[in-house]
Amino acid sequence: MRDHLNKRCMSRREMLGLCRNAFGGVALLGLLNSLPFGRKLWASGADAAELMTPKTPHFRPRAKHIIFLYMDGGISQVDAFDPKPRLNKEHGENPFEKFEVDPTQFNNYGRIMKSHWDFKQHGDSGMWMSELFPHLSTCVDDIAMINSMVSDFPEHTNANYFLHTGIGIQGRPSMGAWVTYGLGSENENLPGYVVLDGGLIPPGGLDNFKNGFLPAGYQASVLKAQKAPVANIRPQEAADSLQTAKLDHIRQMDQNVLVRLGQADEIEATIANYELAYRMQSAVPELTEFKDESKTTMNLYGIYSEDVHTQSYGAQCLLARRLVERGVRFIELTCPKVEADRWDQHSNLKDGHFKNAHAVDQPIAGLIKDLKQRGLLDDTLIVFAGEFGRTPFAQGSDGRDHNPSAFSIWLAGAGIKGGTVYGKTDEYGYRVVENKTTIHDLHATMLFLMGIDHERHTYRFSGRDIRLTDVHGQVIKGILA
Amino acid sequence: MSKVARALIWFVLPASVIVVCMMAWQGANQSSKSVGKSEVDFNYHIRPILSQNCFTCHGPDSSSREGDLRLDRLEDATALLRDGGRAIIPGDSRNSVLVSRIESDDPNHVMPPPAAKKTLTPRQIEQLRQWIDDGAEWKPHWAFIPPGKPKLPAGIRKKPLAKQIDFLINDALEKRDLRPVPSTSKPRFVRRVAYLLTGLPPSPADLEDFLTEDSKDFAKRVVDHYLASPHFGERWARHWMDLMRYADTMGHEFDFPISGSWHYRDYLIRAFNADVPYNQLVREHLAGDLLESPRRHPEENFNESVLGTGFFFLGEGKHSPVSTREEEMIRIDNAIDVISKSFVALTVSCARCHDHKFDNIPTTDFYAMYGMLESTRITPRPARDYEQHDKVLARVGRIKGQIEASLLPEAKRTDQASTSLIKQIAFNKEVSDTAFQLLGDFRSGDVGEWTFMDAAFKAYGVKEQLLIGRNSVEVPSLGLVSSRGLSPGVFGAFRSADFVVQHDSILVRAAGNTGTIRLIVNNFQVIRAPLYEGMEQVVTDSSWQEYRLDTHLVKGQKAYLEILPGRYFEHEYRLKSNDYIEIDIAVAYSNRGPRLQPRPEPTVYAKETLPASISGLVTSYDSLASALHDSTYFLGLDEGTPINSPVFIRGNPAMLSEEAIPHRFLTALSENFPNFPQNGSGRLAWADAVVDPANSLTSRVIVNRIWHLLFGRGIVETVDNFGLQGKLPTHPELLDLLAVTFVEQGWSIKELARQIALSETFRRSTVANESTVERDPDNDYLHHFPIRRLEGEAIRDGILAVSGRLDSTMFGKPVEIYLTPFMSGRGRPPVSGPLNGNGRRSIYMSIRRNFLPPFMLTFDMPVPFNTFGKRNTTTVPAQSLTLMNDPFVHQQAEYWANRSIASADSQALAARINQFYLSAFSRRATNPELEKDMSFIRSQAMAQGVPLEDIGRSASIWKDFCHILFNRKEFIYLL
Repeated sequence: MRDHLNKRCMSRREMLGLCRNAFGGVALLGLLNSLPFGRKLWASGADAAELMTPKTPHFRPRAKHIIFLYMDGGISQVDAFDPKPRLNKEHGENPFEKFEVDPTQFNNYGRIMKSHWDFKQHGDSGMWMSELFPHLSTCVDDIAMINSMVSDFPEHTNANYFLHTGIGIQGRPSMGAWVTYGLGSENENLPGYVVLDGGLIPPGGLDNFKNGFLPAGYQASVLKAQKAPVANIRPQEAADSLQTAKLDHIRQMDQNVLVRLGQADEIEATIANYELAYRMQSAVPELTEFKDESKTTMNLYGIYSEDVHTQSYGAQCLLARRLVERGVRFIELTCPKVEADRWDQHSNLKDGHFKNAHAVDQPIAGLIKDLKQRGLLDDTLIVFAGEFGRTPFAQGSDGRDHNPSAFSIWLAGAGIKGGTVYGKTDEYGYRVVENKTTIHDLHATMLFLMGIDHERHTYRFSGRDIRLTDVHGQVIKGILA
Repeated sequence: MSKVARALIWFVLPASVIVVCMMAWQGANQSSKSVGKSEVDFNYHIRPILSQNCFTCHGPDSSSREGDLRLDRLEDATALLRDGGRAIIPGDSRNSVLVSRIESDDPNHVMPPPAAKKTLTPRQIEQLRQWIDDGAEWKPHWAFIPPGKPKLPAGIRKKPLAKQIDFLINDALEKRDLRPVPSTSKPRFVRRVAYLLTGLPPSPADLEDFLTEDSKDFAKRVVDHYLASPHFGERWARHWMDLMRYADTMGHEFDFPISGSWHYRDYLIRAFNADVPYNQLVREHLAGDLLESPRRHPEENFNESVLGTGFFFLGEGKHSPVSTREEEMIRIDNAIDVISKSFVALTVSCARCHDHKFDNIPTTDFYAMYGMLESTRITPRPARDYEQHDKVLARVGRIKGQIEASLLPEAKRTDQASTSLIKQIAFNKEVSDTAFQLLGDFRSGDVGEWTFMDAAFKAYGVKEQLLIGRNSVEVPSLGLVSSRGLSPGVFGAFRSADFVVQHDSILVRAAGNTGTIRLIVNNFQVIRAPLYEGMEQVVTDSSWQEYRLDTHLVKGQKAYLEILPGRYFEHEYRLKSNDYIEIDIAVAYSNRGPRLQPRPEPTVYAKETLPASISGLVTSYDSLASALHDSTYFLGLDEGTPINSPVFIRGNPAMLSEEAIPHRFLTALSENFPNFPQNGSGRLAWADAVVDPANSLTSRVIVNRIWHLLFGRGIVETVDNFGLQGKLPTHPELLDLLAVTFVEQGWSIKELARQIALSETFRRSTVANESTVERDPDNDYLHHFPIRRLEGEAIRDGILAVSGRLDSTMFGKPVEIYLTPFMSGRGRPPVSGPLNGNGRRSIYMSIRRNFLPPFMLTFDMPVPFNTFGKRNTTTVPAQSLTLMNDPFVHQQAEYWANRSIASADSQALAARINQFYLSAFSRRATNPELEKDMSFIRSQAMAQGVPLEDIGRSASIWKDFCHILFNRKEFIYLL
């Protein structure tokens, strides 16, 4: 490891030398997005030994990329993935007579409510799924369903921070930041951690995607599916040649500083950064141009759907695949803004859940199939999760309130045993009765599949070696291939 | 060798690192090749080994202790072990079990066990062995040993602190045979001082003044000039805000505002500018509401001290938590974290669930503090308190006395009805039933355990005092508590003691317009739907009505009732000039409420019916009293009901220890602070303990922060953690010298900054000496001045200063954040702020937790959730993209260029370029630079078809040129 690091270090000097040609003329190695070198440049005050501790990866990774499909607001497990016939039988009865009811976010307890959707078994595995997800139902043999998820928080914001950062308060590094901190990125022109903003930024805001106390370079770059997908990515100059001329002049003048100082790594790194920034200017917009995608592919993702939300989520999913192809480590998709808001149906669940499902179902199925046919699913872990589930009894007459005591998520792709159903809830889908699985377990598993031991993957902050999984978490062995 | 490769050497040769630290401590001049006998120091070598490798299972935390062995205390480490033998036998390493277990080959026997994934180096084992053989001398952790002045040669001792600093720094360099570099040039020095003290570049005019006046006192003049600048406070307040996780909103789902947050920011700016002694500043933060003689604003005479408590509520906050108890725990935990890290650089929050794993901080320390903060209430407070009007108050009091003297005797003569009524209800017949819980009955004029805060509220007995209004004088028929005793629009709060909610509802009889009745459950302030809308009632009827609070969700919780004139609008407290409220009874009940006797009508004297002498008094009373109206508020602290908190076992608020922890100071320092008071919250006593010179941490922590801010690195690098997990000081004697002198010199931040800035060490060039770099690669010994990148705020403010767009207006409401399309989510302000922030300095931009300024974040502004005494300095492409493409940067380049073109002077190309350089880099262009720049400009003119003679007037060419200067590394680095 030490030899390896040493080589990386020595080659950097040479590279900086190479950079002194005309702007954009020379390919850079993944200077600042790759480790260990980027880490040294980024980390101020981090102790040398800590920086050099071999962390990457701890063991053979099964996944190189993660696509995190965030289901904002809390999808109802009993309407989507976890069938509960007893709800049909006891529809309209008083939940307080059936089981102990926890305090809820809205304190507006209605009656036990059956699902609006029928469940059927699908695929070779016979996994149950409701008719909310007709397309996804055709992929059940690729996915592992966990019906026994629990969260610590019944409020969106804390539950979101918990899901994204492993702790229920603001300011901690997001899971994507932890992954890139550990592994860097494979692409020198793109950030390692990307959030595709579908229209809904989750409660808790952009802090769900931040670097927390990790160096700023690990925060997510938020991309929108538009012409200038990232902030400040478009040159303001009228012509490219003008910008290039300016940058050339800047670099030429900056050389004076280097000559005077003799040695100034910080400044050299900043100069090198302009190269990278320049290249990102063209690499990033190219991402969102689907010129080279076939009609069949576009169709697979639902980009020609009549539902504009299916179209836009389809574009996000396709963009996610393109990011995977370009070596981006961690990609999160946020939900499209359908008329019924996020999955948070405190009322009018039938309409809201249908619209949300319709927007994401075909694109997600398309993504799985497309990755699979291109051989990318072997390297890519897909995680589909919300921050909590919903109650089996109604809120008011036709909604459901938050339920952190049981919900369903699923994973697919690299290292995952398709067709698995893991964990059980009680007959109402209200509480977990078997294989209780925490957010920490989910994080431990995601890191594990990326080749990272969650217990050893730490960062010193506030006098402690802090982990994504705090002091908890166990890899969910039961869903691994 | 690159820095990375140098770092590698550190990794490969950890022993040399240890030697370097050790030499710093002992000041010994020894070769770094081997560790000699006398060189092993417990604090600098041995405890770090034990702490890193052993304390997790053999440290202070009893819950995770293995084998009944603890190695953090001598008497335990040398005690007889369960299995025989002793871990440490002083003088005999061979028979010390500690050593044999570490050296064991047996995986079941070896320590640390393989599962811990930790191994000691041979060097470390050798040091342990040697230390034991030398007698195993134990010392308290260095930070708990009181600082003492180092022994300095007599000639040095008498010199100013700056010289003493240089002596110690140079001594350390010399002992390592490291050669310091010479001083930097005068212009660079001016730039360094200007930026580090004020966060702005020197103006070309100031620069010229400093450079042309040939004087021995050059450095002094520069340093004193910038210390005296009002911009000093703006920069240093921002540093302090990093510690206090300053923000203007609460984050969470809707990002509600923190009422009046910016008053605290303005307070800081004034305090740093006025050089308020640091011990005073600390006391104001922790107990500014409790000081006997608060510090007052020199001109406006308002209470400054109380504004310090505004830091407390600046954290995150959520609405509608399902458990307010847990929400309180999160808030208090955060406050303890912020307080302990900021003031004493200890991580007390680590002891929330268990005893601290490394430091001597038992979990009871955390809950002692917890109880103190639980005994503290959050309250709106006027940012300009009424006492500034003390003369008015005196006059108002006199006039009131005169009116009372003429009206009261007559009022008392009439009507006996209410007198008999008071007798009847004083027995509380209506509410004596056990179905009721009487929370307060003020109809006799007695308030029991309820408390008044500030001026507005007073209890009025029957016909004892008058309520003087604008057009009438009222004699209450029955006792009541009213906020309009002085005048409507005056602020105050009237609160019950804590009680446990036992019923479904609370009835409060009240009158007023506008006033608020709130039930504060577990100190929870963000009252709204869903869940908590029933905890607040707004009173808008000047006739008496019964108001009902719905409390069924919070039964069993601790709470208090709060009565305020005015009201909250989306969590911002406002008080209008006519607002008032009065109440006479509060009762909790579950099924049916009490039937209260209606209040008899008060005797009202209309002003026009009064004799002219009295009505004249009423008129002058009113015109005087209405001037007392306070209009601007912040959320500060007040005393609540004293609470001793039990320990939450494993941090779980549902699992409580039987014993409650009395208020006290930190165990590690408590010897000096016995007899901690148990009345009240104890905040003032805690604050006094923090700033007591017997406290070994506080002075060291603040001088280290000042050093860190000036040099970019602390003498203790981990500025927020002086515990065992923090770094050791590189210059322990210097740290102590600064700490002791700082206290001697009256805790003056400016004076210390001044002395440091006047030192030769501070004046060194950034150009390192290559051969010295090899031996001190991280510049631990300051043989040169570190190259520093400016913070986001300084970069943005610098751009504005250079472009000429800077608006130096100080203080006031934050300028709304400029919203890019990438900043979306709930709570997004409906309207974006201006791109250029109205030209105001960055400290005046709003800090919305869910919409933090991208420019600042990109340049490493910390996310405001916890104490950040040391910012990261990262290098990421987003920074380049910002300077290359951000519309703000382009806008300012254009502004700068146009201003220059419009100005009469510097029309010649070279002269203009030099002007630009002076503004941007505080120096003139060199000849080669001039040539290159001119050739760039000419080639651009050619490319754009601008005739050479028109270059001087070409807005686009000069805009591009100015933009280039913003992108030069020299612009964002102090070189």
